[in-house]
Amino acid sequence: MKNYIKLANFEINRVSKLFTVLLGITLIVQIVGVIVEARKYLNMANEKMYEEMMSIAEFLEMFNQMSFIQVVRSVWFLGPIALCIAGVAFYIFLIWYRDWFGRNTFVYRLLMLPTSRLTIFFAKITTIMVMTLGFVAFQLILLPIELLIFKGMVPSDFRNDMGVREVVSSMPEISIIIPGSLLELILYYGAGLLAVSILFTGILFERSFKWKGIFAAVLYGAVAVVLFISPLLLQEFVVDHFFYPLELFLLEIVMGLIIFAGSIWTSGFLLKKKITV
Amino acid sequence: MKKYWKSTAIIAVIVLSLGTFFVNAATSAEQYPEFVIQKQSGDASEIKPLVLDGSYADTSSASYVSTNLKISTNGSKYNSRSLIDQIIGQPPTLIKDLQEQYRSFMRGKNAWADVFFEDESFLAYADVDYKRGSLKASDFTFSISVLNKKDGNTNTFTVEVPDSGVLSHIFVEDVQVVGDELHLITQNMMPNYEEYHDEKHVYTIDLADQHITHHESIIQFPKEEGEKDLYINAELIETDPTKANERLVFLTTKEIESDHPESSDFEVMNKEIITYNLATKESEVIDVPDLDLMENQLSFYDGSNIYFTRAEGQEFIVTPFDLENEKNGQLLRIPMSNDENGNVLTPMITVNDDKLYAVDSYMNASTNAAITVSDLKSGDPLFEGEIVLKDSLELDSFDLYVHEIFLR
Repeated sequence: MKNYIKLANFEINRVSKLFTVLLGITLIVQIVGVIVEARKYLNMANEKMYEEMMSIAEFLEMFNQMSFIQVVRSVWFLGPIALCIAGVAFYIFLIWYRDWFGRNTFVYRLLMLPTSRLTIFFAKITTIMVMTLGFVAFQLILLPIELLIFKGMVPSDFRNDMGVREVVSSMPEISIIIPGSLLELILYYGAGLLAVSILFTGILFERSFKWKGIFAAVLYGAVAVVLFISPLLLQEFVVDHFFYPLELFLLEIVMGLIIFAGSIWTSGFLLKKKITV
Repeated sequence: MKKYWKSTAIIAVIVLSLGTFFVNAATSAEQYPEFVIQKQSGDASEIKPLVLDGSYADTSSASYVSTNLKISTNGSKYNSRSLIDQIIGQPPTLIKDLQEQYRSFMRGKNAWADVFFEDESFLAYADVDYKRGSLKASDFTFSISVLNKKDGNTNTFTVEVPDSGVLSHIFVEDVQVVGDELHLITQNMMPNYEEYHDEKHVYTIDLADQHITHHESIIQFPKEEGEKDLYINAELIETDPTKANERLVFLTTKEIESDHPESSDFEVMNKEIITYNLATKESEVIDVPDLDLMENQLSFYDGSNIYFTRAEGQEFIVTPFDLENEKNGQLLRIPMSNDENGNVLTPMITVNDDKLYAVDSYMNASTNAAITVSDLKSGDPLFEGEIVLKDSLELDSFDLYVHEIFLR
């Protein structure tokens, strides 16, 4: 346990630079986005009202009030989120390969540590999780600040006020990243954790058997996916909707846990017996 | 400890930020107003079995989201939109009750009430299975399950649909069990050149032999040659799935497409009521004396009487028609309320045990939905009341629709 904490802390420190840079980009771009989008709307309002002599009522009837949704739908808001997602996706691979391809093959020292080699796996998957949830937490802190700036810029007659929860639930894409209930959060990120564990196992296959390993990794991924959806296939094609929806849902969770355990076991085996430096 | 500060800080921020958000989300969950049925006169015990399925929407906010609810004498109960409830789904009240009571029998069965039949001794299910082809469905078979409630045995079997080859599709519209026979009433769609041509069929299946003993086409409604704009439609009048009926009632409607080139309205030409007796296998066109079918709506059929309704001024008039003796019953007059624009609200009706339940299908902030229960024999009101907001709460604007009256 102590080794795991040490190693996880070490991995988190290693990613902190990338993490901070991405947070910084998100902070700056999103806040600039709020300002730009609000000004765009206000400039248009000014133009319509002073140059085309529209009254406020006429203007609002034609163009509606501005809501924060317009900011959320802009590339200013979604761009940094996409960048952070890409960053995590990229780092899932980098977290392993940097140990092999960095200066003085660091993995050599990692594997020589007087601890179970599976600890390395756990430390790395924890880092990915912490990084991901860190972005989500940061977005949740940033949103009220952005809403405050938005309120400060757009006069109350011209804006449609929304709370953080309304903003989050207004777009399906955002409500996957920030779901409305704790259960959904656990399910969505649990599924994410499962996917990362499968990817890690695939990476370890490649590190163990090189080119042949890529083939094994793809095969492993395919088997995992088929196993995961097997209750659904069974329900649809074999037992003719025998299960009630809730039972099917629980079966899926059990299947996910089995595959997660399988990935951990396979990774442990590869790390102990097959890995090459 | 110093070298752990980054990890500690990140984890602390995650826990605090997500924690605050989800605690907030849980405590500030959307609050819906509660509705109750308020008695104005009569006996409140008359509405004990009543369950109203409806939907509520707050129209003051920009996003129009409606939420399903059930209103009964116990007040209102909203369907929660939590993930677990979304997974379970929201089957109709009848199906939900059956799933709770007969959990293993209800496995793998479609969740609509039409394909079920229930009485004291049987719970029956019949539906159509078929192969989905790339162009059309084929190999239609009836899959039938009958649960004997007394000994708990289930009789499950499949029967091929006769003449399955000519069908493009077939739907089960009603299931009736009379004695040892199961009657299936279906709508059969057959391709006829480019147009579809529909027929109502009845299949009688002997439950002991598991064979079709009788098959008949009751009503055919093709588009007639030469009269291109004429449309004929036939509908089976649904009955309570918890009662066996020997007589089926169909309403056929002939409509003609209006001449105006810009409008695509249909003009009703003619309506006809046809009954079919499952025991004698005879069908008959019913002539209702002194009743204009164009003005009167066929609103309900309870197995022995058909109930016609029409609005007349401020009154809602219900005319029962006895099929056995072919004569009109006691007329029932129910006063109707107006909404804020002066439009009268016509209620929905259902009949059980010689009592007629009428419920307005809509209410909003300024108009309440009225509920009346009347004795069909004497025509006297047994209960009069309305749906109101609990504790005389005042709301700016909302819509409440009642979709279905269900009697427990």
